[in-house]
Amino acid sequence: MAMEHFTTAVEGAFTILSEHVNGASSGALHTSRKQALDVLREVGVPTTRHEEWKYTNLAPILANDFLPAIGPTVPVTRTILDGLALSDLDAWHIVLVNGVMQPSLSNLPDADPDIQIEELSDETSAGTIAAATTNPFVAVNATLMSGGVSIRIRANAVVDRPIHVRSIVQTDVGATLCTPRIVMQVGAHASCTLVETHHTVGRSKGLTAGVTEIDCAEGSSVAYTKILDDGENGHHIGTTAVNIARAAKATATTACLDGTFVRNDLVMRLNEPTAEAYLYGVSVLNGSQLADNHTVVDHRVPHCHSEELYKGLYDGRSVGVFNGKIFVREDAQKTTAYQSNHSLLLSDNAVVNAKPQLEIWADDVKCSHGATSGQLDPEAIFYLQSRGIGKDEARGLLTYAFAAEVAEHVAHDEVREHLERRIAEKLGARRFDH
Amino acid sequence: MTTTPLLQITDLHAGIEDREILKGISLTVNAGEVHAIMGPNGSGKSTMASVLAGREDYQVTGGTISLNGKDILEMSPEDRAREGVFMAFQYPVEIPGVSTANFVKTAVQEMRKHRGLPPLEPAAFLALMREKMKLVEMEQQFLSRSLNEGFSGGEKKRNEIFQMAMLEPALAILDETDSGLDIDALRIVAEGVNALRSKDNAVVVITHYQRLLNYIVPDFVHVLWNGRIVRSGGKELAYELEEKGYDWIKNESPAEV
Repeated sequence: MAMEHFTTAVEGAFTILSEHVNGASSGALHTSRKQALDVLREVGVPTTRHEEWKYTNLAPILANDFLPAIGPTVPVTRTILDGLALSDLDAWHIVLVNGVMQPSLSNLPDADPDIQIEELSDETSAGTIAAATTNPFVAVNATLMSGGVSIRIRANAVVDRPIHVRSIVQTDVGATLCTPRIVMQVGAHASCTLVETHHTVGRSKGLTAGVTEIDCAEGSSVAYTKILDDGENGHHIGTTAVNIARAAKATATTACLDGTFVRNDLVMRLNEPTAEAYLYGVSVLNGSQLADNHTVVDHRVPHCHSEELYKGLYDGRSVGVFNGKIFVREDAQKTTAYQSNHSLLLSDNAVVNAKPQLEIWADDVKCSHGATSGQLDPEAIFYLQSRGIGKDEARGLLTYAFAAEVAEHVAHDEVREHLERRIAEKLGARRFDH
Repeated sequence: MTTTPLLQITDLHAGIEDREILKGISLTVNAGEVHAIMGPNGSGKSTMASVLAGREDYQVTGGTISLNGKDILEMSPEDRAREGVFMAFQYPVEIPGVSTANFVKTAVQEMRKHRGLPPLEPAAFLALMREKMKLVEMEQQFLSRSLNEGFSGGEKKRNEIFQMAMLEPALAILDETDSGLDIDALRIVAEGVNALRSKDNAVVVITHYQRLLNYIVPDFVHVLWNGRIVRSGGKELAYELEEKGYDWIKNESPAEV
């Protein structure tokens, strides 16, 4: 019931968009929206019978009757923005409200030849990296996206200042669905840092069906950090797809720190030889929070390398899901691909479902995966005690360290420090002295 | 004048899960002394180290252990450490996500807090670390690496002695610190320990082999067999053992009770 209502709401918004945006019920944009909507109708909103949603039940989430919104329903003020995470980060801040870029609330480079940030005016240019073909929420996004952000980094540019996209779902008018789209193109041999944060602002619940597409051209280096640290009203279903060209390196770090419901789909495609992909993830949950991380590393060609480390710390009645697919296609000889996934269960009622999935069609490759779940190592606790650190303190320190192993892969100092601090706060744990 | 021994173990009985492993150990260690506890595998050496450090898996069923006249049996491992007990682990634990420097700093500050000392200033701490690292020929880069993660056997043992140097314990227990070390690492570790010896502290070296005792020369050697100290002597006892093997002890010792 809730599921049908959701699709109907998306259809309704599509009809309004067709009639009012650009006035066109024909043309390329209309066609691509219609195609995406057809995918949603065909695939439907997934139930737990769907293999990709086996451990994550959407029915209670979608029972909130989210209505799509495009652009601000009520103005979002600077004061609100200033209260959100990383607002004082020395960065180019790009603010999207209900999926639409707000230049007046953003802090954008002024005629910087290296970076071009603008509203995604031609939505048909999106979807080449994250195509709306099978994933119903990518289809939702493709049906409704309007005015997201396009970021272009010029070839050979070294952009030290992070680019921070802050996507806000504004919910004062009622339970709201927003569909932000971020499209980033990184030129050859350029390097940059992209930080993505999501917030629900307002009295009602918010659901974000976001899509981020990143194209890493030859020899480029991209550090991408997605932080889900929303309030109780926050629900997030997001896909990030990354294409990695020859000798390019992409690092994606996904942190699920707060918010009621998070589902991340991360797809890293190694499209040309010597491409490198690094995937890191950390979830720190409590209460009845849920974080579901699905990752795909697609080795399509020979001589590529990938490393993946996902960790979860689950307290209360929280639920963690990790599904990590690695495809090594027939041509992808000399692939090295490593995956590990470790979970710490901090309460008897917390649950984690972990599923590594390696499909290897080439025969000359090095691949490994490892998964553990359990409690803190008693020997490690004793080791700390034997150095004069009290038992409870030792537990806290080790719990923090367990999560910090992921955060330490974030290269940007301020962003890493922010993550480490938030992890410690969430755990109520002391950090080791610095 | 009689002084209180640094460590006094009297008729210690201990075991794990109803199995008695230590069957009446008595040992007196005075400040300034080095004692070696030798014995074949399964004689109870590591149990003795674990019981001294307060590992909770072991139950003490009889006897006493006192440090500077203070009963430590009821103390938690952390309180024993704060009182000055240090154990160099046979298998140091790897802790990803914590740098060696931050780990050691946390331990040192914690100890200082319990000794009523103000925290060390960052500069003073760094200087102290640099000084102590030299002792065990550790390179600067170790400090930023995750604790023991990916360290070689020798690096782990050197790290243990580095921590000992930083924490300045009254009683250091080296639990098979020589196991798995090549001769260079053994020499470095031993020289580190020797440099830390003083008239105020003591070292208990637990080892299977005499080799380490060429470098850390003991004042007393005790042979542990079947949960008891069956023979004590000077450093020459270690040579005798090396020459005759443990069968000599097993044959000469009273039959199991």
